[in-house]
Amino acid sequence: MMPELVIYNTVGFPDPDTFTEFIRGAGRYADVIELGIPPKFAKYDGPTIRKSYAVVSGNDSDYFELIRNVSSCCKTVALSYLDDLDLEPFLNKIRDTGVKAVLFPDLLIDHMHELDYVTTSVRGKSLGNVIFVSPSVPDSIMRSASLVADEFVYLGVRPTTGVQTPINVTSVVKRARDIVKGKLIAGFGLKDNSEIAQAISGGADGVAIGTSIMKILEERGTEEALEATRRLKEYVGSL
Amino acid sequence: MQVPERWYNIIPDLPLPLPPPIDPPDSDSSSIELLNRILPAEVVRQQFSIERWTNIPEEIRKAYENFGRPTPLLRAKRLEERLNTRSKIYFKYEGALPTGSHKLNAAIPQAFYAKREGIEEVVTETGAGQWGAAVSLAAGTVGIKSTVFMVRSSYEQKRQRRGLMEIYGAKVIPSPSSVTNFGRSISGESPGSLGIAMSEAIEYALQNGSKYLVGSVLDVVLMYQSVIGLESISQFREIDELPDTLIGCVGGGSNFAGFTYPFIGSKIAEKFVAVGPSEIPKFTSGTYKYDYPDTAGILPLIKMITLGAKFEPPPIYSGGLRYHGVAPTLSMLIKQGTVVTKEYGEEKSAEAARLFAETQGIVPALESSHAVAAVIDEVKEADKSGTSKVIAFNMSGHGLLELDNYIKLYGER
Repeated sequence: MMPELVIYNTVGFPDPDTFTEFIRGAGRYADVIELGIPPKFAKYDGPTIRKSYAVVSGNDSDYFELIRNVSSCCKTVALSYLDDLDLEPFLNKIRDTGVKAVLFPDLLIDHMHELDYVTTSVRGKSLGNVIFVSPSVPDSIMRSASLVADEFVYLGVRPTTGVQTPINVTSVVKRARDIVKGKLIAGFGLKDNSEIAQAISGGADGVAIGTSIMKILEERGTEEALEATRRLKEYVGSL
Repeated sequence: MQVPERWYNIIPDLPLPLPPPIDPPDSDSSSIELLNRILPAEVVRQQFSIERWTNIPEEIRKAYENFGRPTPLLRAKRLEERLNTRSKIYFKYEGALPTGSHKLNAAIPQAFYAKREGIEEVVTETGAGQWGAAVSLAAGTVGIKSTVFMVRSSYEQKRQRRGLMEIYGAKVIPSPSSVTNFGRSISGESPGSLGIAMSEAIEYALQNGSKYLVGSVLDVVLMYQSVIGLESISQFREIDELPDTLIGCVGGGSNFAGFTYPFIGSKIAEKFVAVGPSEIPKFTSGTYKYDYPDTAGILPLIKMITLGAKFEPPPIYSGGLRYHGVAPTLSMLIKQGTVVTKEYGEEKSAEAARLFAETQGIVPALESSHAVAAVIDEVKEADKSGTSKVIAFNMSGHGLLELDNYIKLYGER
């Protein structure tokens, strides 16, 4: 099967109009679009995504309304941290936006004891679970958590988004591949085509790209960001 | 028996996901990114590409062998007799390494990777001098320069340690120093601390294009130390024995983890006892939270049991235990109950050291003597309950270069 492309952007970034225009366009190339809703403290994100949260928090927009306007573009996943979330009302609101699934990056790390409760609640709203894992998740937990993933398992290969620490992408992905039975998407700071290729050769079913496209979107506008997305899809599809 | 061919990383075998290092909430730049600039790239790669097993390069295995690995696993028969116990006591003797402690196990790979990456100088900090000596020897072995910021009070009191580093070719600078901005910002009267020296070494690395070598706490350092436990398992198997209880002292956690993690991962032994100093009561008074591993707050936040990065450890003689935190994996294993903890004061530890020296001839490092104190209590506990246990501890170093401290401790009584 052709490897998939997942695109991440923060809801409303860099401004509501650009965001809407970009996501609607990117839906033509991306298989999945992840939409980040700003938490109080984006613990596991790097400086670029944290900055994007600060930018949109200052825009005073209705995140759920923005998501509703773009959710028909393709398969969309909403992302937020459980840490400061009221789960039931959040899920009700997010279901009404039309997204297919939700992802909580802090679910396994900080809320492991609530895994069943959270994933069951998500399914109860007819939403799917995307499960976030990192290399610091032990094998046994990666295995059990991957069993409750409805859409895919998202492997963050680096400790934080957009920060290029040297790592062996292939071996990190391969370890997860040996454990995760379903679809596996690798992301978090994949820095170039060579690392994307390493992720796919390690056994990932697709890659997620955020920071690098967001930088283009902010600095050079929608058209160039869409062109970069198109080229990414072409490259990922060629692997 | 041979030097192990692979290092062991416990993270894939932990009971819960390990909270990753994070950037501080109010920062514009990434201190995780900073690690790229201060550490050898391969060290960062191994820190973050978490794999259960990592092959030890042949050159590093040869260096381990050259400096005396595998270190002996010995039975403390006369100590058993003196304690009049049916339990058996074994110890892994890391003091047999030329710098006198386990620290060399982590210094050699880091110096080797720095050299391979074309780095000409490595820099670090040292308190008691164990880590500084290890870095000096490791750097000399691979043929690069080393600079060591030594806590000023130790620099003045521990001339033997300083001399050892200089024999190995290191440049030793008392900290706080006038070499860095951070050092200059602190009063010249200050006796210094490990945290200040660490901050100076990191600043020096950033200014001079040299690389900083890490002595404990980071996952990758604990992994390098796994040779201790891996060798011990083979040595126990050779004598057809396996321990019930493992004991080690904890500063940042690297010797304890290096010794016990391979056992924990292989599900050998049932009790693991981490021993700290009661003067720095992190086990009994510390909290499990994100905190800085360094006093200056330059490094990423890590989740650990900590007394707070600004905690000023009292001036006990066991310099290697004067640290505010506990390595993240060890913190988790303690919180989760796999590892139990004990705290002993320096006086009781020094008494245990005397008993050990009288019976086994080896003067333990004051740090390691805390483990000896716990061993004696474990033995007594087993005797009281009418059982006999096989108890093993890591003698992380010898105390022959710290005899002054013992003399003062015994003299004070």
